[in-house]
Amino acid sequence: MGENHTRPLSEIEIRVKALETLLIEKGLVDPAAVDALIDTYEHKVGPRNGAKVVARAWTDPAYKQRLLADGTKAILELGYSGIQGEDMVVVENTPEVHNVLVCTLCSCYPWPTLGLPPVWYKSAPYRSRVVIDPRGVLKEFGTEVADEVKVKVWDSTAELRYMVLPERPAGTEGWSEAQLAELVSRDAMIGVAKVAAPGK
Amino acid sequence: MAINLVQALGAALAGASSREAEGSAPRFKAGDEVVVLNINPSGHTRMPRYIRGKQGVIDRDHGIFVFPDTFASGTGKKPQHVYSVRFTARELWGPQGNPKDALLVDVWDDYMEPR
Repeated sequence: MGENHTRPLSEIEIRVKALETLLIEKGLVDPAAVDALIDTYEHKVGPRNGAKVVARAWTDPAYKQRLLADGTKAILELGYSGIQGEDMVVVENTPEVHNVLVCTLCSCYPWPTLGLPPVWYKSAPYRSRVVIDPRGVLKEFGTEVADEVKVKVWDSTAELRYMVLPERPAGTEGWSEAQLAELVSRDAMIGVAKVAAPGK
Repeated sequence: MAINLVQALGAALAGASSREAEGSAPRFKAGDEVVVLNINPSGHTRMPRYIRGKQGVIDRDHGIFVFPDTFASGTGKKPQHVYSVRFTARELWGPQGNPKDALLVDVWDDYMEPR
């Protein structure tokens, strides 16, 4: 903390501070509202929520069934809901099917379980290419999908928000839900990655 | 300030579904073959161009939602069913599409006709 004290602020930090001060002084922004917003996206929503949903599904077959039947309700069981997650659909990766998500029209993404979308997810190249050449795009993410596996690309053009339930990796037999959740990455829940087996 | 911004923000973050309890009767069910209309509206639409005029199969019915095309133009919610429609990669991209692969797109009832 102390050592940063004399570091000069970067240009963007100065600009943000100036804007914030002006907005507050003019009464246009309530600083408590800004704090609440930052707190929400720093601590309350994000891919760790989704990882817990996945780990629960991996360890509790009845939960998995509920999750695939009604994603919104099952995700709410773990306490996650809210804007951009009002109507959730969870699609399951299996040895036969690999699912991957996109929003070709804009950047629709399930905020309560995955947080805010990464920049590449919102970029025109990802959105235009993953629909035409999903296997090629997956390869660029380092994800090989075997020829005999079907690829399904889900384009969230409406109000449904999607999340991929990745395959549980081998070598995790007997692991606790908390241990399993640590393995689950954001990219695996978008479907551009798989969950790597431990130690790989 | 008259409104409590923190409260208002909390309400906004809680979200609001655009599901509707009632709407027009579903014209399709899972397994039905459909064709997406080839229309090019000048206003807001949520029908991606790459599925226009293409054939697909209803994968599942998501329930009733507000119709964005009319809602955006201020001419009403026109609540109707939204379906996940499965298109083969071949249907959309021709021989370049992998014969094993498919795209699933959420499509409003009004955007389609039976095949």
